[in-house]
Amino acid sequence: MLVKFFATYRQISGCNQCDISGPSSVLELLEEVSRRWPAFRPLVLNEAGTEKGEDAIILVNGRHIEHLDGIRTALSEADYVALTPLVAGG
Amino acid sequence: MAQAKGWMGTILRVNLTEGTITKEPLNMQDANDYVGARGLGTKYYCNEVDPKVEPLAPENKLIFMTGPLTGTAATSAGRYEVVSKAPLTGIIGAANSGGHFGPELKYAGYDGIIFEGKAEKPVYLLILDDQVELLDAGDLWGQGVHEVTEALEAKHGSVRVSTIGTPGERGVLFAGVMNDKNRAAGRGGMGAVMGSKNLKAVVVRGTGGVKVARPKEFMDEITKARTMLCEHPVTGEGLGALGTEILVNIVNEVGGLPLRNGRDGAYWDEADSTSGERLVDTYLVKNQGCFGCTIACGRVTKIEGRGDLDGLGEGPEYEAGWSYGAACGVTDLGAIVKANFICNEQGMDPITLGATIACAMELSEMGAIPEEDIGFPLRFGDAEAMVKLTQMTADGEGFGQILGLGSYRMAEKYGHPELSMSAKKQEMPAYDGRAIQGIGLEYATSNRGGCHVRGYMISPEVLGIPLKMDPLETEGKGALLKTFQDLTALCDSTGICLFTTFGIGLPEIAGMYREAVGSDESDEEILLKGERIWNLEKRFNIQAGVEKDTLPPRLLREALPSGPAKGKVSQLQTMLADYYAERGWTADGDPTPEKLEELNLSY
Repeated sequence: MLVKFFATYRQISGCNQCDISGPSSVLELLEEVSRRWPAFRPLVLNEAGTEKGEDAIILVNGRHIEHLDGIRTALSEADYVALTPLVAGG
Repeated sequence: MAQAKGWMGTILRVNLTEGTITKEPLNMQDANDYVGARGLGTKYYCNEVDPKVEPLAPENKLIFMTGPLTGTAATSAGRYEVVSKAPLTGIIGAANSGGHFGPELKYAGYDGIIFEGKAEKPVYLLILDDQVELLDAGDLWGQGVHEVTEALEAKHGSVRVSTIGTPGERGVLFAGVMNDKNRAAGRGGMGAVMGSKNLKAVVVRGTGGVKVARPKEFMDEITKARTMLCEHPVTGEGLGALGTEILVNIVNEVGGLPLRNGRDGAYWDEADSTSGERLVDTYLVKNQGCFGCTIACGRVTKIEGRGDLDGLGEGPEYEAGWSYGAACGVTDLGAIVKANFICNEQGMDPITLGATIACAMELSEMGAIPEEDIGFPLRFGDAEAMVKLTQMTADGEGFGQILGLGSYRMAEKYGHPELSMSAKKQEMPAYDGRAIQGIGLEYATSNRGGCHVRGYMISPEVLGIPLKMDPLETEGKGALLKTFQDLTALCDSTGICLFTTFGIGLPEIAGMYREAVGSDESDEEILLKGERIWNLEKRFNIQAGVEKDTLPPRLLREALPSGPAKGKVSQLQTMLADYYAERGWTADGDPTPEKLEELNLSY
C-alpha cells in the first residue's frame, strides 16, 4: 500500500511516500513503520503500543481513523495511508 | 480620574474634512461590554454611522481599535482591528492585523483612532506620543506599501507605519491596510475606505506603557498560557517551523482543497508542489514573529534565479498558497510566492485576488470572457498569466481594473455570478464546504462574508482540536460553530492572536483579560461578550441590507467528483436550522427581540 508522510515526518522517513506491503491493520502498519524508522515509535504509537500517538494524525484513504475503526482499521494493498504530526494553519 | 487598567483611556478623533484632531475619553461602558478591538471598534462604528452609508463615501468612518491586552505581556498580544463598512461586501468589515503597530499606538497613549470625512488632498497622520498632526502625503501618493513605509521611517525615525498601496488609492474593493510592511488588515477592502478618505498612512511612535489591574495575577495567567502554548505541538513547534502552508497536504488528503475555482473538485494530485514542506525546502529564509509572540508563524521568503520573479518578502500563508495554487491550478511555487509578494507590496487581499483570477480562468476557458478583454489567452495552470494579472490589478491596468472588483462583480459582468466562489460577495478561503461540512456553514454565516477566521471549524473537523468531528457529518456543527464564533469574537477583541487558540482556550483568555482590566466576571460572562459582539455585527448587517446566509450553487448542487468526499455536496440547510436554533434566532436567521434584549442590544 502507498504510505505518505507529511510535515516533519518526512524528515524521519527520508521520503515523501513509500510502498509498504504486508500490514493488514493500521496497528500493524504503525508497528512496521516504527520498525523501519525507530524514531517514529514514540510519535505514532502510545507507550503501550496499543493506540496511536496522541499527536499523530492518521488517514486511511483520506479518512481519519477516528471515523473508521481506529487503530484496528483493516488495510488492504489498494489502500493509501497518510501519516502526519498535528499541524495547523489558517 | 485614574486610568482604566488595560487601557490608555483616550480615543483620537480625526476629522479629515476639517483637518481637526480631538482627544476624547474612551467610552468605558462600551469597553466593558464589547471588550476591545473588533468588538469595541464595531460598537463605536454602529453608534456613529448609518448602516446604509456608501462604504467609499466621506460619510463613512474608519476605525482603528486596539484591545485591552494589546501591547501587554499577554501571549501574542500585538493585534489591532480596522473597522468600517466593507466595500467588497456592503456589510460590516472588521479586519485584524498583527505586527507591532497596535502596541505602538497604545504606547503613544491611544486605544483607537476614528477617522471621519475626507481630506481635500492626500495626508498622513503622525502620532508621536502627545504630538498628533496631519501632514501632507502628496509625495507618498502613488507609492507602494514598502516604499511608503521606508520613506516614513527615514523621515521620522523609529516609528511604526500602517499604510495603503496604490490599489487602496484607486478603490480596489479588496485593498488592505498594511502595517510593518507585510502585516495585513486584509479582508473586505479596508484599504479602499482609507484611500477614499485621502488618508495614505498612520505613523506612530509611543514611549509609554500599558498598566494592568492586577500585575502579579496577570503574570501568573500569562505564565500558564505561555507554558501551554510552548508545550502544544502546533503552537510550540509546528506553526513556527512549518508555517500555515503546511496544511496543503493534509487538507488535500481529506479531499477538501478546492481545485480550479472548485470546478474540478477538491482533491489535487499535484498538491505537494505547493505545500508547506516544499516551501521550507525552496524559498523559506526564516520564520518571524509579531509583537510578543512565541509562535512566530511568519514566513520570510526569497526568490532567486527566477528572473522577474526574484524578490524578498513574506509568505505565502496557507490561504494565499491555495488561492494562487490549487484555485488557479498553478504548480509553480515561485510564481505563487511572487504573486503574494505583489499583494503585500501593494496592499491587496491575496485570498480574494487569487480566487478572482481563478474565477476568470474558468470564465475564460468556457468562453464567457472574450480574450480581447483580458488581452491574452487565460487558462488554468498558467503561472505567468497569474502573476501578470496580479501586477495588472495592482497597477490598475487593463483587465486588472475588472479583477479589482472581486470575483462576484466580475462574474456578474460576464453573466455568471454563480461561478464566483464567494459568500456575501467575499471569496471563500481554502477549504471546500462539500468535503468539510462545518466550514461551509461558517462561510455562509460569517458576519463579514466568506471567511475562515470567524469560527475555524477546520480545527475540529480536520485537525481534531479541541475534539475530533467527522468532516462529512452535520450533527453538532451548528452548536460548535456558535461557540467558536463567540470565542473568536472575544479573542479578536482582547488584542491577542487567534492562533493562540490552537493551544489555549476560554479559561486562559478570560484569565488574562480579567487580570488586565480588573474584572471579577466568570468565564461564561466573558464569553457572553463574544456572543454580544456577534449579534451586534449581525444586527448591523441586517440594517445594512445583508443577503441571506447561503453558499454558491456549486457547493450546494455539484457533487465532488473525486477524493474521500466523492459524491458530497454541502448540507447547508440542515446545519443552518441547527445553527439558528443554537443562536436563539428565528428560522430565517434573524436575532429575536428576546435574544437582543438578553444581550442588551435592543433596537
